[in-house]
Amino acid sequence: MEMERRKEELEKKRQKLAELRRAREERKQVFSTAAQKQEEKSVERSKKEQVEDLVKSLLKEKPIDHPGTPTSSKSDDAESEKGILSHHARHGSISTGYGFSPGTSVPQSPSIAAPRYIPEFSSYEAVILDIAPKELILYSKEVQTTEKSFGPLPPNEDEIRVKILKEQEEKEKARQAALEEERLRIEDEKKKMQQLKDISEDDRKKIISSNEFVEFIDHSTKIVERALNENYDYMKDYSIIKDNENDDQSGSRVKYVNSFFDDRWTKNRSVTDVNWSRRNPELCVASYNKNPIAMNEPDGVALVWNLKLLERPEFVFHSQSDVLTTMFSEFHPTLVIGGTYSGQIVLWDNRSKSLPVLKTPLSASGHTHPVYSMQMVGTQNAHNLITASTDGLICSWQLDMLVQPQETLELVHAEHSKTDEVSVTALGFPDNETAAFWVGTEEGIVYQANRYGRAGGKAGINPYDVYKGHWGPITGLHFHPSTGPYSFSDLYLTSSVDWTCKLWRAKSISKPSTSPQTITPLYSFESADDYVYDVKWSPKHPAMFASVDGTGKFSLWNLNVDTEVPIVSTQVGSQAKALNKINWDKEGRKTAIGSSDGRVHIYDIGELAHPRDDEWDIMQKTISEMTTESHSGRSK
Amino acid sequence: MSEVEVEEHFKRLTNNKYVEGVLIVNEDGQTIKSNLDPTLNKKYSDLITKLVDHATTCVKEMDETNDLSFLRVRTKKHEIMIVPDKEYLLIVIQNPEKK
Repeated sequence: MEMERRKEELEKKRQKLAELRRAREERKQVFSTAAQKQEEKSVERSKKEQVEDLVKSLLKEKPIDHPGTPTSSKSDDAESEKGILSHHARHGSISTGYGFSPGTSVPQSPSIAAPRYIPEFSSYEAVILDIAPKELILYSKEVQTTEKSFGPLPPNEDEIRVKILKEQEEKEKARQAALEEERLRIEDEKKKMQQLKDISEDDRKKIISSNEFVEFIDHSTKIVERALNENYDYMKDYSIIKDNENDDQSGSRVKYVNSFFDDRWTKNRSVTDVNWSRRNPELCVASYNKNPIAMNEPDGVALVWNLKLLERPEFVFHSQSDVLTTMFSEFHPTLVIGGTYSGQIVLWDNRSKSLPVLKTPLSASGHTHPVYSMQMVGTQNAHNLITASTDGLICSWQLDMLVQPQETLELVHAEHSKTDEVSVTALGFPDNETAAFWVGTEEGIVYQANRYGRAGGKAGINPYDVYKGHWGPITGLHFHPSTGPYSFSDLYLTSSVDWTCKLWRAKSISKPSTSPQTITPLYSFESADDYVYDVKWSPKHPAMFASVDGTGKFSLWNLNVDTEVPIVSTQVGSQAKALNKINWDKEGRKTAIGSSDGRVHIYDIGELAHPRDDEWDIMQKTISEMTTESHSGRSK
Repeated sequence: MSEVEVEEHFKRLTNNKYVEGVLIVNEDGQTIKSNLDPTLNKKYSDLITKLVDHATTCVKEMDETNDLSFLRVRTKKHEIMIVPDKEYLLIVIQNPEKK
């Protein structure tokens, strides 16, 4: 059926074509005859061109209606067939020539225009068929190369400008938004703050009395106070001359630094001992006896003072009994040791709280009498704490084991009057000596004693060597620290309530006496008008020592300069309170003086602290002079 | 007892001849103790709290294991010393020129 119909159609077309060709031929003849009529021809041509344009435009439209369909003539046939069918269905009366209409998009217009255009239209049909595939192929190529491979057209300057402006605008908007947000936040915060401002008095009190707050205050004020005591202004401008520059230091040779005092802890107490830290040269520890007025405060106190923290103690340590002597452990910078009136040895740790971390028990195995003196002997790896109580008991302790003493030694003297007990008030070991020591006693005699028995000698007091010279209890005993070309380590100083200090030469322990022997002092310093409470050699200067007495005088002696009077004697404190103890710092520049009114005074001796190179030689001479003098004095 | 102690510490600071102001605030900037007049106090508590916040984050961001422990701000006229803690801030304004 179809085939037949198609054939019919083709037949019709052929007929038409033949007809058209004929018509053309006729027209050509007409044209050739009228060739000379140029104008007419041009009009004709322009008409032709018009038609051609129309056809072209129609052809151009075609690809747009069927994009992406590469059409060969065959498929075009199929297309056209479809088109024809559809047209037949809709406009049965339309001539088949119209069936070549390129698409279905313009079905209406030909019904009106067809009769007029048919001749022209058909004359270009061949052209259409020729051109169409080419154009279609081009078109399909175009499709493949659209957008993706080329991207959008490069923007021109105006576009860029617009874009930038847009971006800026957006940024500005964002900024405004952020600002607004910030403003809101601040306002919010302010509101919050205002709400917070209404912190009630009760809450405030609660906070203030809370433990954390107290701890915070304690800690933070300490830091700030230390920073405040930093006397140097690190922003100082040396190009600015200040006229109020006071130069008060040049006058006196001993400079007062500070007095440590604390209303709560040192009022109504006396300083019983002072000592410096070896590890931290700015720290010193002072021990105090009890405060008779404050009954619920602990009896004994030891305070660690810091030269950089002038108005409060760095650490406060408590003890149940008066602390009579105290020191930093030489080998453990955080530990502080105290000897108490009850005989207990206590150990504090600044990493812990105020109470002792360790203490010896109150039992017969340890001290049961007041401990006035102690010393650490030995080295980093093997050291002992030697303590002496007034009943003559010497104990040696291991710091981490204070349950019981490692060794005990009772000092007795058979020829003692009334009781054979030797009441020890002061104790001293020569430099680098750990076994033999010297003790000052209540009756004013100094004895030598051994910790261990040796060939030719028992442990305990050496009964034959009697250092006699003082007429009252001995308050201090100190061996020469002796670090120089000459060794003066056999020299020691004592102070006594008989208003004097005395210089002694210790008998060599390698040749103990076999018969009773009285040894007299090398020299006696008698410038004091009161009890002399303590005496200490300078750790750096071989001929220098310092003493303190009951009138509140601090005296600095230099044996190379003068042996009769101190080179400096200065009244400590405003009230002439008795001074109990003195100690040098490691460098021999500063002294800490413990006063009976509970103050610890710090003095800087400045340039005096540095020995000249020849001081050791001169000291050697001075001592030999003293030795001959004392011998001749005795022989008189 | 503890309140007495706090008072003592506070007094000691305020009595220091270089110190021009002492101020203790909590983390929100609320004043707990101060010897400044209210307007100045508010200024300091608000602004310093912010400064400390910034400093703390700054230190933390540089090293997570680190923490701000003391802040000194030296200005032409003063030095502001700040001790930050978990909950509180101690702010001390001193005049080092007097030294």
